[in-house]
Amino acid sequence: MKTNSFTGWPFRILAIAWIIGAMQGCAPLPRYRASLPSTSPPASSAKVSPDAPPSPVQEPPRTPLPQEAKIKEQDLKARSPITPPAAKETTKPPIVTPEANTAPLPDDSSLLAKITPGTSPQRAASLRLTEEGRKLLEVGDAPKALSRLEKTIVIDSTNPYGYFYLAKTHYRLGRYKESLSFLEVAESRLSGEPFWLAEVHALRGENFRALGMVDKAEASYAQALRLNSGNRTANDALGRLQGQSQAISR
Amino acid sequence: MKRPKLRIISIFLVSLLIVTSSGLVFGGWYLRRLEETVAAKFDGQKWRFPSKIYSDSHLLYVGINLRFQELSEKLRRLGYHESQSPPKARGEYRLQPSRGLLEIYLHDFSYPAEPFKGFPVRFSLQGTTITRIENSTTGEELFSLELEPELITGLYERVWEERRVVSLAEVPPLIVKAILAVEDERFYQHHGIDPVSIVRATWVNLRSGGVVQGGSTLTQQLMKNFFLSDERKFSRKMKEAIMALIAERKYTKDQILENYLNEIYLGQRGSQGIFGIWEASQFYFSKPLSELTVGEVALLAGLVRAPNRLSPYRSPDAATKRRNVVLAKLLDDKVITRKQYESAMRESLPRRELIKVTNDAPYYVDYLRRELAENYSNDVLTAEGLRIFTSMDLLLQKMAERSLAEGLKKLEASYPALRRQGEEDNLEGAIIVLRPQTGEIKAMVGGRSYQKSQFNRVFQAKRQPGSIFKPFVYLAALMSGGEGGKKFTPATMVEDSPFKWNYDGQEWEPGNYNDEYFGTVTFRRALEKSLNSATARIARDVGIKRVRDIAHRLGVQSSLPAVPSLALGAAEVTPLEVAVAFSTLANNGVRTRPLAVKQVVDSDGGAREKRDVRVEKVLTPQIAFIMNHLLKGVFDRGTADAARRWGFTRPAAGKTGTTNDYKDAWFVGYTPDLLAVVWVGFDNKAKLGLSGAQAALPIWTEFMKLATAGTPITDFAPPPGIKIVEIDPLSGQLATPNCSYVLREAFLEGDEPTTTCPLHPGTPLQASKFD
Repeated sequence: MKTNSFTGWPFRILAIAWIIGAMQGCAPLPRYRASLPSTSPPASSAKVSPDAPPSPVQEPPRTPLPQEAKIKEQDLKARSPITPPAAKETTKPPIVTPEANTAPLPDDSSLLAKITPGTSPQRAASLRLTEEGRKLLEVGDAPKALSRLEKTIVIDSTNPYGYFYLAKTHYRLGRYKESLSFLEVAESRLSGEPFWLAEVHALRGENFRALGMVDKAEASYAQALRLNSGNRTANDALGRLQGQSQAISR
Repeated sequence: MKRPKLRIISIFLVSLLIVTSSGLVFGGWYLRRLEETVAAKFDGQKWRFPSKIYSDSHLLYVGINLRFQELSEKLRRLGYHESQSPPKARGEYRLQPSRGLLEIYLHDFSYPAEPFKGFPVRFSLQGTTITRIENSTTGEELFSLELEPELITGLYERVWEERRVVSLAEVPPLIVKAILAVEDERFYQHHGIDPVSIVRATWVNLRSGGVVQGGSTLTQQLMKNFFLSDERKFSRKMKEAIMALIAERKYTKDQILENYLNEIYLGQRGSQGIFGIWEASQFYFSKPLSELTVGEVALLAGLVRAPNRLSPYRSPDAATKRRNVVLAKLLDDKVITRKQYESAMRESLPRRELIKVTNDAPYYVDYLRRELAENYSNDVLTAEGLRIFTSMDLLLQKMAERSLAEGLKKLEASYPALRRQGEEDNLEGAIIVLRPQTGEIKAMVGGRSYQKSQFNRVFQAKRQPGSIFKPFVYLAALMSGGEGGKKFTPATMVEDSPFKWNYDGQEWEPGNYNDEYFGTVTFRRALEKSLNSATARIARDVGIKRVRDIAHRLGVQSSLPAVPSLALGAAEVTPLEVAVAFSTLANNGVRTRPLAVKQVVDSDGGAREKRDVRVEKVLTPQIAFIMNHLLKGVFDRGTADAARRWGFTRPAAGKTGTTNDYKDAWFVGYTPDLLAVVWVGFDNKAKLGLSGAQAALPIWTEFMKLATAGTPITDFAPPPGIKIVEIDPLSGQLATPNCSYVLREAFLEGDEPTTTCPLHPGTPLQASKFD
């Protein structure tokens, strides 16, 4: 369902989350937040403790984006890789967001939780290295994360999470085209995992936005939310785009 | 009478004056020149630091199978020494398969941006499988671990001097005192030459009737090492003495000492000379200078006199004797206490496998040099001490070299016509091995003998691919339906009979091997049996431009003519291009860029360059899976079925390649994790007279059997949207219980046949859907 009102959809998402939370006997807002990653780096060093408990997917801290002219990839590379890139200024029609008609999916971001007694040694080792790479990325060490994550696909080329985090690392390094390529591979290896497919689409949106392809970015965010209305990256990004759009129209 | 006398005297005096002044002028000029020489060395670049090329690191993780013999060989190549007791020092290991135990005390290694401090590690084994890894000191459980990369070779100009420069402040005082005690105990008293030492040495030499002791100071030794030869000539000694005096006048004692400690030669590892005390400490003890014990310091100081004769690796007795002499001297000089002396005397000597570092992979290294030359000059590569980390797996490299050499020898033995008299016309071959997921070049052998020919056939030889090109035709056909063209599936029936293809006013008539035609065959059968006529018909229906575009999309970079004969491989490509293109199939439609150099790090550990894995999805995983499924049939029923008889049984896809004129024989084959391309032929394009199955497949099979032994067996996993049904290969329709031969065939969902076999009517067998 399309909507022209941009003030209502986040509230609708929250309302749905509230109802689901209430049905399960807990307050929705804390529950929603509980599924989100902590933004503070872990206390341990970059070296992963091998038996560390699984932790959820973590997004980079967000800051309000300035509006600016069309961004080129090479311009973005010169910036801090952690800083989320700004969207292209646009005077196009208001953003169309998807109806958040699905409840947020349960958090499936823990990679170590995917290791079960039936997991092959290759997949288990690959998942553990992916987790190490993810943590390195979390503490901002993208180069080290990259070398860890490249090993994950050597050990197990079917590990989609390795490809996803490689995509994320390239995104952090400002290599958006490479990131998009890895996302394509991750997507082709993820089936029946809407939580992760939503992550893929959301990150794709981030890359498109960084490349100044706002329409494609919106479509990707929308796809992410269709798969998982609780996807924070897509929600936040669409919120920002909406804010910009409103500012322009005012 | 007086006049002539006076005249003679005056002539003499004038001559004397001229000679003396000339001597003074010349002497002054000469001294000035020597001074400039000394200054240039001290103040300029003193040493060249060769770049070092490393293999990829080796990852060990819980659940992986170990191949004990190969692991032991690798550990030995890395300088580890097998011990019968639990490893106590870096560089020791103990392997006890009967007790399910492997223990390694890991070396330190400076990985790019990640220095690694060695620690003892214990692997629990069940059979050959690692079941647990733990840090032996802390008991911490680990899940994976890297064995450091192997040094492949150095890039140097004339001599490989391995050295790391340290400042005097970084050298523990005991080392300095020990070296001075045995080499130049009056170092801080003399001014470059030491008359007391000279007199003493002369006296000793006269008494012994030969040269047994030198009177050279440490400064003189440094001057000799910097500028002069080892000749025992008076003129050389004079020059050395003058230069020592100049150096002492111009520079401080500490500056001279620091240069000396970095300059001295202290051992040899193959072609690699060990220079300077830091490098020696690593070579002999695998530890930094600050961690050396008193005994180790004494051993090191004792080595200065004759590093090879007194080496603890070559002559433990002589080394022990010399160490004890040094320890005694240190005790006499009250540098160490008696307790330290006695403890040091009990220390055991270091042991290490003396593996010669020679260039084991010259073709691969040439390829690396070529890649590096794009960004680094030869001067930089041979002088700046870069560390170059590569994708090479030295074990696979050695296997590839052995498989090629032995395979070619066997071919010559089996087919005497292949033997040539002249070395230039020898039968040649090449192998390239890729990891499809990453594009890493794991091994590369560009020819039979690098000594005889440095021409690297992997990337320099453009040869006709022959039938190895056919999969691109079949791939284009499978994709054709989705792009508005004629639809093909693995069960599509194709005509295999003589025909003429008219194009651009010309006529082309493809013929089958031995002019044998099969009438109507399935798409699969045409590919498995590499039928020229059926393939050409498919190419005609699909369009040759589409075939060419697919080949380019998969990674073929050479120019390909869009002519009908391209369908049968009438173009020229390199084995490297073939490997990249087929690795795209092996990697489920994701193309990777070939990766040899992974990272370049400068001498300070700073990253100069990092080449990442790059991927691009160029095919849908479904189409890639169907192609792999088809090419698996080449092993099971097609032209490569001999590989099964020769013992290669794991799931694999591949294709033989033979050119029409039998000049080139190819085989490309891959498991989901490893791909290898083999080419065999003559450089002068003489007729080989053998097919790919006869000449290249045996080499490929031998290599892959070695390379995959003990590794997990993996198969190509069907992605969602693939349906596997059982069909009768004669009709290409759903098999019934009455069909005598049934084949499980993969289709895009919705493309599978829906009617039962008309040749053997009955109810269809079960169908399965993979999703």
